[in-house]
Amino acid sequence: MGSVREYFSNIANGLGSTAKGMAITLRHFTSEPIITVQYPKESLPIPPTYRGMHILEQEKCIDCHLCAKACPVDCIEIESVKHGRVLEWKKFSIDYKKCIFCEFCIPPCPVDCIHMTTEFALATDNADGMVEDMLTWTGLRPEDQAKLEGKASPKKPAAPAPAGGGEGDARSRVAAMLAKRKKEEG
Amino acid sequence: METLIDFFTGTLGLGPTLALSLAYATAIGSLLGFITVYAMFAIWMERKVAAHIQQRFGPMEVGGWHGWAQSPADALKLMFKEDIIPSGANKVLFWIAPAIVFCGVLAGFIAIPFAAGVQIVDIDLGVFFIIAIASIEVIGVIMAGWSSNSKYSLFGAVREAAQVVSYELPSATALLAPILVVGSFKLGDFNTYQAEHGWIIFSNPFMWIALLVYFIASLAGCKRAPFDLPEAESELVSGFHTEYSGMRFSFFGLEEFVSMLLVSAITCTLFLGGYTLPFNFLDVANLAAPFHLLGVAVLIVKIFAVIFVQMWLRWTLPRMRVDQVMTMGYKYLLPWALFAVAGTAVWHVWMEG
Repeated sequence: MGSVREYFSNIANGLGSTAKGMAITLRHFTSEPIITVQYPKESLPIPPTYRGMHILEQEKCIDCHLCAKACPVDCIEIESVKHGRVLEWKKFSIDYKKCIFCEFCIPPCPVDCIHMTTEFALATDNADGMVEDMLTWTGLRPEDQAKLEGKASPKKPAAPAPAGGGEGDARSRVAAMLAKRKKEEG
Repeated sequence: METLIDFFTGTLGLGPTLALSLAYATAIGSLLGFITVYAMFAIWMERKVAAHIQQRFGPMEVGGWHGWAQSPADALKLMFKEDIIPSGANKVLFWIAPAIVFCGVLAGFIAIPFAAGVQIVDIDLGVFFIIAIASIEVIGVIMAGWSSNSKYSLFGAVREAAQVVSYELPSATALLAPILVVGSFKLGDFNTYQAEHGWIIFSNPFMWIALLVYFIASLAGCKRAPFDLPEAESELVSGFHTEYSGMRFSFFGLEEFVSMLLVSAITCTLFLGGYTLPFNFLDVANLAAPFHLLGVAVLIVKIFAVIFVQMWLRWTLPRMRVDQVMTMGYKYLLPWALFAVAGTAVWHVWMEG
């Protein structure tokens, strides 16, 4: 008799568990909210401590090179010229082909001028484009420029033209992010 | 069919042979068109049902509204993909296997009545014919598995053979119950009977068992989860169509959805009233000339209800083990199908005699 009972209990279990499972999936089909987001159009919030692309607050930077020394992969390159008390920036670039987003460059900064943003969409079809220029201007005010030109030093355009290409690239998004942050800080 | 032949002979004044061939060509052409559109919609629906059961959106981009054009886009992509044939494959069998698989299922539609008069041939042994012709699919699958010269394909084909042949017993036996009630194998008779006497599913309590057994067995026949052992992507890569690509691969995918349509059409015709409405409150079959085509819509709604249950079940249950599939077929479904047939016979002798 045991096996007969087992046979019918198997049928009852099978039908019962299937019905239960189907009730669960039907509930998910009809009433449970959809939890995914349509990524390029909307995205989940990224925590502010996320280690994305860098931004440099150039007017704070004192050209101490501590971030470049801390970098384990040597992806930060800095070049500058000192004209007395005036600092002229030539280069402050981060090579995102090398960068491992370890955040080691952030703590050494004595003036807290380099930060990491939540910008992560750095993919590009051009390897040269992976070396990002962090500079927004040369560091020379028009009067400094005039003084230097009087001394006949190497010429450099004075306009504080922000680097970076079109609307959509990561560099300009970071620039926009920086501008927004500055506005919020007042 | 007669209307079409009359149209070609009477209205256009063609000879009888030409009219007959043109009528069949028109009928089969429109059937193919319907099946293609259906398959695209069914694939999209499957993805949407799956997505919403898993609380996702599914395809949303292609075509604008909820990714409705995803399937046509996929079909276009598959058409342009390279058709790779493995160097060790038996080329002839490899080539014709998808065609045989697809044709076997497609031929079943010849006997399906979509509405009053909308049927290519009302074969006297319609149910029998569909069961028989749909089994050709197994041959195609075995050809595909064997000719691929890959062990995974062969495993898939062997599983398919074991599973589908086993499940033809319970499904064919379960279909005997409605055949006993109507007293005919002709699919057209099922609709006229159900228009008069109400749906067969309500004719006796054993019919529910027969429907359940047929539904489960037909799932196995379509290789749908939880019976998708021949494909079993986590075990056998992709089963019997592992080595296929491009258009040939898409025929196997198409075949799955077309055979779902076929078994759902059989389920609806034999158990759920065919193209008649519940309690026959509107006699669709005997409406004036163009309105009897409303039966097609009624049948399609019913078919999609059954297909939805198939999809729903697929995204509910995990795949079964090979021995569980065999146990299910021989120890559970077959005895219950026989029980349903015997019960139906006794019930109708008791009630009517």
